[in-house]
Amino acid sequence: MMLFRLLSWPYLRRHLVRWILTVAGIVLGVGVFVAMHTANRSIFSAFDRTVDQIAGSTQLQVSAGEFGFDESVLERVQSVREVGIAVPVIEATVDTNIPGQGSILILGIDMTGDRNLRDYELKDADEAIMDDPLVFLAQPDSLMVTQEFAGRNNLTVNSKIPLSTIEGIQQFTVRGIMSSTGMTRAFGGNFAVMDIYAAQQVLGRGRRFDRIDVRAKDGITIDECQAALKATLGPSFDVDPPSARGRHFEALLQSYSTAMMISSLFALMVGMFIIYNSFAIAVTHRRAEIGILRALGATRGQIQRLFLLESIVAGTLGSVVGAVVGIAAALGIARWISRVLETAGGVAQRVSELQVDASLIALAIVAGTGTSVLAAWIPARNAARVDPVQALQKGKYQVLSVGENRRRRWIALAAFLIASVCLFFSYSKPFFYTGYVLMIGAGLLLAPALTLLLSKTLRPILKRILPAEGTLAADSLVEAPRRTSATVSALMLSLAMVVGFGGFAHSFYSSIQEWMDNALNPDFFVAPSENLATRSLTFPAEISSVIERVDGVDQVQVVRDARVTYHDVPVMVISIETEKVASTVHRTPVAGSLEEMNRLTAEGKGLFVSESFATNLKTKMGDVVELPTPSGLLKLPIVGIIRDYSDLRGSLFIDRSVYRDWWKDDTANIARVYVKKGENVEAVRQRVINTLSSQYRLLVLTNREVRDWIMKLLDQWFAMTYNQIVVAVLVAVLGIVNTLTVSITDRKRELGVMQAVGGLRKQIRWTVWIEALTIGVIGLILGTCLGAVNLYYTLGMIKRDLGGIGLDYIFPSAFMILMVPIILGAAWIAALGPAEAAVRGSLVEALEYE
Amino acid sequence: MISLTHVSKIFDGKRKATALENIDLHIEKGNVVSIMGPSGSGKSTLLNLIGGLDRPSSGDIRVDGENLSELSDDDRTRVRRDKIGFVFQFFNLLPTLNSLENVALPLHLRKWPRKKIEDRAKELLNLVQLDHRLEHLPDELSGGERQRVAIARALSVYPPILLADEPTGNLDTATGREILKLIDDLHSRLGSTVLIVTHDLEVAERCSRTVALRDGRIVEDRRR
Repeated sequence: MMLFRLLSWPYLRRHLVRWILTVAGIVLGVGVFVAMHTANRSIFSAFDRTVDQIAGSTQLQVSAGEFGFDESVLERVQSVREVGIAVPVIEATVDTNIPGQGSILILGIDMTGDRNLRDYELKDADEAIMDDPLVFLAQPDSLMVTQEFAGRNNLTVNSKIPLSTIEGIQQFTVRGIMSSTGMTRAFGGNFAVMDIYAAQQVLGRGRRFDRIDVRAKDGITIDECQAALKATLGPSFDVDPPSARGRHFEALLQSYSTAMMISSLFALMVGMFIIYNSFAIAVTHRRAEIGILRALGATRGQIQRLFLLESIVAGTLGSVVGAVVGIAAALGIARWISRVLETAGGVAQRVSELQVDASLIALAIVAGTGTSVLAAWIPARNAARVDPVQALQKGKYQVLSVGENRRRRWIALAAFLIASVCLFFSYSKPFFYTGYVLMIGAGLLLAPALTLLLSKTLRPILKRILPAEGTLAADSLVEAPRRTSATVSALMLSLAMVVGFGGFAHSFYSSIQEWMDNALNPDFFVAPSENLATRSLTFPAEISSVIERVDGVDQVQVVRDARVTYHDVPVMVISIETEKVASTVHRTPVAGSLEEMNRLTAEGKGLFVSESFATNLKTKMGDVVELPTPSGLLKLPIVGIIRDYSDLRGSLFIDRSVYRDWWKDDTANIARVYVKKGENVEAVRQRVINTLSSQYRLLVLTNREVRDWIMKLLDQWFAMTYNQIVVAVLVAVLGIVNTLTVSITDRKRELGVMQAVGGLRKQIRWTVWIEALTIGVIGLILGTCLGAVNLYYTLGMIKRDLGGIGLDYIFPSAFMILMVPIILGAAWIAALGPAEAAVRGSLVEALEYE
Repeated sequence: MISLTHVSKIFDGKRKATALENIDLHIEKGNVVSIMGPSGSGKSTLLNLIGGLDRPSSGDIRVDGENLSELSDDDRTRVRRDKIGFVFQFFNLLPTLNSLENVALPLHLRKWPRKKIEDRAKELLNLVQLDHRLEHLPDELSGGERQRVAIARALSVYPPILLADEPTGNLDTATGREILKLIDDLHSRLGSTVLIVTHDLEVAERCSRTVALRDGRIVEDRRR
């Protein structure tokens, strides 16, 4: 502690900016970690809370995926001896059409029976409703809203609210305002209750319910009731406690959560590199001080502890500030993610409060401090090993010994060989990830030797271009591989990440483009929802014939899709008019023949699945898929596997006739419309709108609009990736600033000599700039190579654990060409400060510096 | 050639330290002048001011007609690179450059053509009898050889002024004598004005004029 006070503290004060940057590295890592996890937790918690709040005293819920089921199921449930109360429910989020309010969660319930499960205490209501809730039912436009929602929108009893329904925007009347109870806080207070039969009509449910909420008879346990219901209803229905919906929601977002986890780990790793870089440089910078201390009798342990203590101080400070910053940013991130989820997945969510987990914060602080100590460990150990004589010789410490170089190369070679062997067993998760880590590790271990090699290779080129400045810049890198390689490694790793993410994005965009060209070729799409991903509203069966009768329409293909849980994985079942679709869509088969799969599916003898389904559910051609339906288990063999991006967890395609027969549902939620040749698409589209708009709520999107919508979704999804690229570039800049700051300190005398023998200020500046640009070039070369490897593993990881999507390996060449000016520009900007410092100092002092 | 008028140099710190006080000195073209004095007398500071490495706190310094006090940093550098050659006690060779590259450095900074640079550097290294050490790095040379490379570098543009700060201070006696002889030879061949800072009487005696400093003032100016 005494050494810390005497030596570290003055050093920190002298290099305050660098220390703030170091701490900023930890702030960044811990901040992103805390923000991502808190946001994730808040979203899940908001969903769980909403489920819990609207569950009332419900013990079990009977459901059949998003398709719902026929009204008759209610009687079967009520007939079960163990069931005490069973009430039907329809649940949907609809657009409020009130500026700034977004969507509202509508719970369609049977008011007469539902009060046994949920408490609808009214704060204010029509007198008649206060006396008799049946009056509420008699008026189909009735709505009860929460006190919070009413307050936010100045609503009173008998106020009108415009809601988007299947029949277009309809005015509903507030008949009651619910007192603040647990339930009214559901969905952030944007919650309303409607009569279930009115909900069936306005939400296009026909004579179907979304689920049945159940409470067991007194004296019957939940498990007994659940078992009895399962026995009665068979495997087609899910019978679970309300809390299970949270699990399904989490399963649905699994790939997203994994991506978030990788993001936060990446942020922590970035922080670790900044710390490593800063400490490596601090040790270099203070080599003389260490030498003197060692000469005066300080033990190796004392030196090591001194640096580790500094890392603990920096780590703890950075972690605490990072946790605060993370919590501050979490709500904004959670809301942004919720919006993405709602648009992309049709899963509406409203995060109004943060769920801060004390243990997560503690873990983040421990992880941040631990990361800091871990990152500082090697520099601290190196500091402790400093030979006092060598330490007092300028520059010696920067040299990588032959032995160390050789040892690194051997370890790298061993890591590379083991990683190569792992490739043969990459079907196994541990082998795949071990290989991945070892391959990246080998790259990092080789970085100093490769940096040296490239610096030496670049020297003659630089000498040719600018004989004095170029040579000195290259020599500075050659003479200090330790100093240079720390930054080059950080830059290389950052760029490898960038190539990985960029390559993934590029491959994904290319595949999506190909899929859109093949599968999304109708002239326009008609949907009853506010966007194509929302499935809470459906059209009746006749929509197809109504649109087909419109002048200029050539063909209509209706689609009904909904999410079901298959082997605990939420997947999308898409029913299509197979023959019609086959005549217009030519998909890319991954397995099986396109003609055969279309024929068998159309005949109801099979189904085809997306590649992601096959990967996630570990299924292959010929496997029989058992789908739970209201009519029992539908067993169909897989007759084809295709590339499809309708849903990231996986899609199953069945024929519409099969869907109708087994689900007893003939509604549709998307109509794909083809226009006759020679007809003006816009004119036909307008005619369809004119025909339907009086009866239905409509969303009619042209092919271009759908493509734009999908691309916008992709952009939102990848926005986080681009932020990581920005972080990666910032790390690189920070590393270069650090390296150059030490470099010009080490070369103070040389730069002084250069000025003494006639070097102008601009020539000194150019020397420093060229050094930075050379670091950039070396980082780009090594980063591109490691990135090419990283991309291979990233795509493997995507297929294996992030959605099961198989993507072609396409190296993002254009992207990397774009990175060249970005990295070189960043390197140059990083060099501006150190270059100015190099020319501003006293020349006499510089010449005397040793 | 070199003219100092009322030149003072005060170093600002927690306490002000006067390194030179009211110096008047005029050195004619072609002279070989030694500056002597004990440590801290201001002789190196004087050399740094004449070489344009530092600015005086007051007074004027004229080198070949140019008033250094009025010039910007870059203009002073231009004067230095065109008119002044520096030889340092610790050689100040760039450790990563070989002898040829070290001598060529000032010429590259002047953007001379490559061929001309190579010819001049070789010629100068030949002059200091190091034509067999062209590719050697400073680490691979003896002290005397390093100083010869430094002298060759200082003379690379045939400067009219050569400033040498303790050129033999880091060398053994025999090597020091060789270096002084070399400076004498070069002076007689090139006709440069030479200023040598030294505390070695033997060195001073070889010069045509000796200026002695003490506590930042000229206490003796002896011509031979």
